[in-house]
Amino acid sequence: MRYAIAVTVLLAVPIAAAAQAPALRRMPDGKPNLQGIWQVLNTASWDIQDHPARLGVPGGQGVVEGNELPYRPEALAKKRQNFENRATADPDSKGYLPGVPRIMYMPFPFQILQAPDYVAMTFEYGAAYRTSYTNGTPHLKGPLNFWMGDSRGHWEEDTLVVDVVHFTDETWFDRAGNFHSEGLHLVERFTPAGPDHINYEVTVEDPAVFTRPWKMSMPLYRRKERNVQILEYDHGLLMDLEQAEREQRPLTK
Amino acid sequence: MNNRSAVLALALAVTAASAWAAQQPATAGTVGGCPAEPRAFNFCALDKAKTFNPPRTTSGKPNLQGHYRARLAQSYSFEGVSGSEPQFGAKIMPWTLSPPMIVDPPDRKIPYQPWAASIGRIGENYYKYLDPRTGCAQAGVPRIAQQDPNQILQPPTDDYILWLFEDHHMQRVINMTQRPPLGDSIKLYNGYSRGHWDGNTLVIDVTNLNGWDWLDDAGNFHTDAAHITERLTLFDPDTIHYQVTLEDPKAYTRPWTIVWALVRQKQPGFELMEEPCREGEHDSKRIRETGGFKFYFGESWRGR
Repeated sequence: MRYAIAVTVLLAVPIAAAAQAPALRRMPDGKPNLQGIWQVLNTASWDIQDHPARLGVPGGQGVVEGNELPYRPEALAKKRQNFENRATADPDSKGYLPGVPRIMYMPFPFQILQAPDYVAMTFEYGAAYRTSYTNGTPHLKGPLNFWMGDSRGHWEEDTLVVDVVHFTDETWFDRAGNFHSEGLHLVERFTPAGPDHINYEVTVEDPAVFTRPWKMSMPLYRRKERNVQILEYDHGLLMDLEQAEREQRPLTK
Repeated sequence: MNNRSAVLALALAVTAASAWAAQQPATAGTVGGCPAEPRAFNFCALDKAKTFNPPRTTSGKPNLQGHYRARLAQSYSFEGVSGSEPQFGAKIMPWTLSPPMIVDPPDRKIPYQPWAASIGRIGENYYKYLDPRTGCAQAGVPRIAQQDPNQILQPPTDDYILWLFEDHHMQRVINMTQRPPLGDSIKLYNGYSRGHWDGNTLVIDVTNLNGWDWLDDAGNFHTDAAHITERLTLFDPDTIHYQVTLEDPKAYTRPWTIVWALVRQKQPGFELMEEPCREGEHDSKRIRETGGFKFYFGESWRGR
């Protein structure tokens, strides 16, 4: 009998260890450590819904739960018009900040930095940043129109929940013309799924444009390159650089 | 007002909201108990820093965290304003008399090589190009720390320091762990920042600069060969001695150093607001067209 128990223990230890997910990285205060450089691997910045490939746009499966967006009829007409005019009407094509949530799924890396009273994100795209205080402070007193919104966070067990309000109506969800009003309200949920993945989920509420709240979800992948470093992709500036080069061309001929 | 001043006034009006630092009298009162003149401030603050024991983070590092505004800094010219400048006494956003912010060399002038002196210092840059900051470019190091409030954050893991700026909604992430250099051909407005602690001083080594920013409104500049060393030292509970040394073998004959103060903002609940630039900015195209100004992108020194 003693022999049998010893065998069981010997067998059980490695099996238990293998079955256990790798431990989450944690901060000194015990909260999950979300720090690092992250990036999506999807096509949501072109179109958050299912879409076929177009020139310069990879085809892709949508990130919207159920795929359909509950537009009000007049809003759906505007979305279709946006789509037709997207090459010039997309605020991103003017070099403006892409807003939230679009900045989260641009195909560029971003970095999370964290302390007990805030979670900050710095983005390669547009050299933008977000600060979500997790110290219990309420939203700023509006009305305010921030391109990146006003973010306040709190922890629900191991999930970082960020509530975002005070938007402009000048940002889009994607290049396909999906849009919102300045009454947009987002609830983002960042749930670590192992050491190198975060499940990112965002609930979108905007009664002026949509008949009901709807949800997007996608994984964020940790960039593992040894020297990974956020660089600068300031798209507005790069547009000016192109313009400057066009203006110089006659001089160099 | 000549044409340049009229256009510049427009340009400045565009960014008037962010010119708070420039509007403060550069020599009013004292700063952190030190004289409000950059060179005298420099001696006094460094002397106080010898005995000041700064607050510490939980890991024992000097705790620089908080919101700050620049003092003893003006945006006109690092070399100071003597009264002979074209924008001095202008009706809109006038330059005002200010001492040089340069503490070394002793003549308090940027030690330009001869070719470069006529480009900076209210020269070719000022008269031919749109100030890149007015055009909503990143203000660059160190100009980014001069306008509007900023915030220093030190995550408890000690691997990065985050420096956020209200002006143009910009940020810098400073690597605090040993990291390899970036490839030479990667050039950035705000450079690649690697930091370390030298006693109680945060030292930031900035490389990979593209040189597309200006140092000030006067068009003073560096090239893409520049190397910047910043030193941030708390010398009293609420004041950082901020020292910036610029080296650039392409444009200068020797390294030179400027100093200003970063003063803690103590209003309860103070937070940075969002102040983007390009979004809602409709005048820069008109300024360029009516004034005939060119985009800068380092054109005045490129190819040298």
